[in-house]
Amino acid sequence: MPAQENNIGNRRLRSSSISAIVSISLVLFMIGLLGLLVLDSKKITDYVKEHVQLTVFLLDDAADADIKSLQQLLARSEFTRTAQYISKQQALDSLKHDLGEDAVKMIESNPLPASIDLLLKAPYANPDSLKKIAGSISKNKIVREVSYQRTEVDRMNENFRTVAMVILIFCGLLLTIAIALINNTIRLSLFSKRFLIKSMQLVGATRGFIRKPFIGRGLINGLYGSLIACILLSGLIYLIQREMPELKQLQDWQIIGTLFISITLFGLLLSGISTLFAVNRYLRLKIDELYY
Amino acid sequence: MSLDTIVALDNVNIFQSRNLILSDVSLKVDKGEFVYLIGRTGSGKSSLLKMLYGDVELVQGEATIAGFHLNHLEEKQVPYLRRKLGIVFQDFQLLTDRSVNRNLTFVLKATGWKDKEKMQQRVQDVLEKVGLSTKGFKMPHELSGGEQQRVVIARALLNDPDLILADEPTGNLDPETSEGIMKLLFDISSSGRAVVMATHNYSMIEKFPARIIKCENGKLVEMTAGAKMPAE
Repeated sequence: MPAQENNIGNRRLRSSSISAIVSISLVLFMIGLLGLLVLDSKKITDYVKEHVQLTVFLLDDAADADIKSLQQLLARSEFTRTAQYISKQQALDSLKHDLGEDAVKMIESNPLPASIDLLLKAPYANPDSLKKIAGSISKNKIVREVSYQRTEVDRMNENFRTVAMVILIFCGLLLTIAIALINNTIRLSLFSKRFLIKSMQLVGATRGFIRKPFIGRGLINGLYGSLIACILLSGLIYLIQREMPELKQLQDWQIIGTLFISITLFGLLLSGISTLFAVNRYLRLKIDELYY
Repeated sequence: MSLDTIVALDNVNIFQSRNLILSDVSLKVDKGEFVYLIGRTGSGKSSLLKMLYGDVELVQGEATIAGFHLNHLEEKQVPYLRRKLGIVFQDFQLLTDRSVNRNLTFVLKATGWKDKEKMQQRVQDVLEKVGLSTKGFKMPHELSGGEQQRVVIARALLNDPDLILADEPTGNLDPETSEGIMKLLFDISSSGRAVVMATHNYSMIEKFPARIIKCENGKLVEMTAGAKMPAE
């Protein structure tokens, strides 16, 4: 078969695919952006939660051995990220640093208790867990009091819940829009081929035989669209890291890699399934039904 | 039904959606027979052809086409029925996105041909038969109407069908080209294939006489030899 006729066919095929690929890549880029936002919001949430501090004030007459044993016990606990012992003198030094030397000059003896400052793991930084943890620690005989900023923790968790809900609704909305947009783009590009599909049926081709090249083309379009979306996202991440280096610690390449793989699979799946449904629709239509 | 019978309809009612188009249709077409199907626009010619190639479902009556019983024909059997038929349309219905060669090769691949050389040979054979052996590399839009219709006829001949169904094949063509197409269809018929052709072109019927069946008032009427043609 002469190369010229192949070229004409390929050129036509390419131009009809370009609009589908552009639409798919833009929609997947939007989904990828949202994915990045969701992943980063989780990291930001965890970052803030892991800085919720629980202070275990100790009795003045607590023996060093008991204090050490309690600190080790807390450090080994599943809810603990760090457990740092603050002696009476360290507490006073810290107060002096905060309020100034003059403000604490009049104090004759050090009234500040020794303490163990606990930073918790993110999943335990919620009011219920904090209450339980504080309750169980206060039972220890050398513990005077367990303190944390209850109101702030409540407010923080409330805010996180609201933000998570907004992101969830936004995700659902964007996913629906994405599916509808890609589906419509593919249906439109196949609408122009409905007579072609019917002609293929009239010469004795089975449905499976007709479907195969269309689905193949749909998957290739989905793959190209996904790759373009991933390239755009990589460019955006690079720009963000260059312009805002402080956000660098929020970028985890393993998670971003997973996001890219998910985008590619989503693009392939959506494009393939939309093509399958669109082709099936035209395969089921009778000749007269193609005109309206 | 004799072994030579390609089309056998017995008391068939033909519907389009829920509308009865033709009723009590009984028809027999044998191998090598050429049959004109005439009648006004909307009289049911195309509906009858559509039923014959499985695009309109048979609801009432008995019908056998090229060995397929249309009464019990499942959707997945329709492609296999169509492989026994050659279908020719007024508007050609070629695959406009590929060359003549690839149009014809598509049909062969779709109907189970595997050997590349045999396919090329078959394509060349049918193109020669319709006088287009040098036009295989062209795209359909680069051909004239008459040439496109010849390609459609070549396509219909690829799998050596028992029956050619032609729905106004000369409807878009000038008289001279139409005559060429008619000669081609008659050659095909004389080689042992049955041809059922819907047409309004009565001058061609006079030039190429054959059996005539008329769709009139929802019925199929056999016209006697020498009957006067309706005014065009």
